[in-house]
Amino acid sequence: MDIDLKVRLGRLDFRNPVLVASGTFGYAREMADLVDFQQLGGIVPKTVTSASRPGNLPPRTVETPSGLLNAIGLDNDGIDHFLEHHLPYLTSLPTAIIGNVAGKTEDDFVELAQKMGQAKGMAGVELNLSCPNVSGGTDFATDPAITKRIVDRCRAVCPHPLIAKLTPNIANIVPIAKAAADGGADAVSLANTFLGMAVDWRRQKPVLGNITGGLSGPAIKPLVLRIVWQVAKANILPIIAVGGIATLDDVMEFLVTGASAIQIGTANFYDPTASVRIVDGLPAAVASLGAGSVREIVGTLKRQA
Amino acid sequence: MILQRPAVTVENVQLAERTFRIRLEQPEIARSIRPGQFLMLRIPETTDPLLGRPFALYDTVLDSGGEPVGLDVVYLVVGKMTTHLMAVKAGEPIEVWGPLGNGFPKFPNIDQVTCVAGGIGQTPFLAYVRELLGTRGYAGQPAVRQVNKVSLYYGVRSAGFAAGVEDFRQAGCDVRLASDDGTVGTKGFVTQLLAADKPAGPFVGCGPEPMLKALAKLTASWNASCHVSLETPMACGFGACFSCVTPVCTPAGRDYKRVCVEGPVFDAATLAWD
Ligand SMILES: Cc1cc2nc3c(=O)[nH]c(=O)nc-3n(C[C@H](O)[C@H](O)[C@H](O)COP(=O)(O)OP(=O)(O)OC[C@H]3O[C@@H](n4cnc5c(N)ncnc54)[C@H](O)[C@@H]3O)c2cc1C
Ligand SMILES: Cc1cc2nc3c(=O)[nH]c(=O)nc-3n(C[C@H](O)[C@H](O)[C@H](O)COP(=O)(O)O)c2cc1C
Ligand code: FES
Repeated sequence: MDIDLKVRLGRLDFRNPVLVASGTFGYAREMADLVDFQQLGGIVPKTVTSASRPGNLPPRTVETPSGLLNAIGLDNDGIDHFLEHHLPYLTSLPTAIIGNVAGKTEDDFVELAQKMGQAKGMAGVELNLSCPNVSGGTDFATDPAITKRIVDRCRAVCPHPLIAKLTPNIANIVPIAKAAADGGADAVSLANTFLGMAVDWRRQKPVLGNITGGLSGPAIKPLVLRIVWQVAKANILPIIAVGGIATLDDVMEFLVTGASAIQIGTANFYDPTASVRIVDGLPAAVASLGAGSVREIVGTLKRQA
Repeated sequence: MILQRPAVTVENVQLAERTFRIRLEQPEIARSIRPGQFLMLRIPETTDPLLGRPFALYDTVLDSGGEPVGLDVVYLVVGKMTTHLMAVKAGEPIEVWGPLGNGFPKFPNIDQVTCVAGGIGQTPFLAYVRELLGTRGYAGQPAVRQVNKVSLYYGVRSAGFAAGVEDFRQAGCDVRLASDDGTVGTKGFVTQLLAADKPAGPFVGCGPEPMLKALAKLTASWNASCHVSLETPMACGFGACFSCVTPVCTPAGRDYKRVCVEGPVFDAATLAWD
């Protein structure tokens, strides 16, 4: 039987639900030897900001048990450089490209969304409302009113479908997801990294140059499953799950929990061909549930254990 | 072309104190890697350790017909992953991706190249010595002698840590040793031995940062060319994560460069050493 892998999230169409996450796939060029882009549902390149940023002091990453703590600090050359040097390559690839932007201020977000909106060949724009390493402690996506306002204002200037990428560093994410929906987002990405820290007691110093960082990798998967389930249950808007996904089993867990698509992040670093192997295995896994399409299995979690 | 492949462990033998050589069967990567490039090795089927770790190519392994079929890596046990690596047995798989990084400079028509190593920093130089002396070709290139003489100045903590010295001598390299405690070679830092000998350059160094910094300063005072291979921690090895950066001096001021793709070998004069 032919299994239909296509998924639709608001105005977004992907050939399959397996995307790769911002900041973990470079600008795709870096992965060209390792990944057949045509196999992917989509690519989210590294976050771009208005002005170029040198990024944080090294060390920028440290491994923790089954996890990775990072404080890269959005090292990038700015939106104009991105549009000129990276976007033409990205949009030439045979897969959906989702630009990812982070503003320092609300106005900054609007300006970035407008510039992305004028660019051709992009499938959508992901608003990184949640980078733990740059906003100076105040994530935009911890406040429903600000979240709604940013999405709404970006929507007004950007014709591309919008995805709001939210922070997990909040007690209840449901009102934030609602705010993103009210602002006109097509989908939410759940979630960015969890704030964390590593300490070297012998030197009596924090390990990261930035002191704190964002935790990602297999260690966070149960936390993100819980968040996806909370938002799915509230039936707010389509969900792209991201957090600790590295295997086909992980992907299936998120789909049945209620994500319509997923992004692979940290696993791109330690198993760079994971994304394509997962896509290869997806039809058989979907068929094993007696379904003929990915869409049919989304959110099919039964209430009892 | 960067490849990710499972590799079978052929042997994993101790060379010196806490220092081992693992031999992996992986013909595709062995055929395309050259001296100064590196590999990421990962313990499969576990998420702790999670990430791969970067290791220099020690040398390729050839079959009886001279075709590259395997990869040798020499490693010092320092932490979580290398402790796991030490326990890997013949027949067991290791996940590998490579070849990675830029590799050492080629020096056609130069009389002498001097390599300077500290700690476990000797590992990338064996293949380089063979390439420079024309006893082995890499990445499909024929073996062509480029220089008359290659020296290795090699500093270790103490005698027990000196690993692979015989390999270097057999490869035709002149080896000068220094040790912190005087148990082998000259007592003191390898850069002190180098300063006393003042051999001819160009120089190529690999080792702990303070040693590379001293080497850069010394060779700059001689107005000699010096390249260094950096050992910054890495998460991916192929340019995707931006974690392996080192500060560099550019005409526009200070910037960061990714060691895994723009290095690991840099002209010492371009690095911001402070
Ligand atoms: C291009 C390149 C080539 C290399 N080639 C070689 C080679 O040929 N041979 C070789 O032996 N090595 C080589 N290295 C170094 C090698 O990659 C590291 O030694 C290896 O990654 C160590 O991994 P580990 O898990 O054993 O150690 P880790 O557990 O990652 O620890 C590494 C070091 O950091 C310290 N450390 C770990 N965690 C912390 C923490 N939380 N706070 C403070 N300090 C911490 C440890 O004490 C230890 O000294 C190379 C590195 C690069 C970049
Ligand atoms: C090194 C690193 C850099 C990241 N950079 C970005 C970024 O620039 N923009 C962004 O929206 N998310 C960034 N993220 C977050 C990931 O996209 C993802 O949301 C998070 O890592 C959780 O997924 P994972 O566990 O699969 O990695 C980064 C993550 C890592 C590990
Ligand atoms: S190790 Fe990932 S960019 Fe260099």
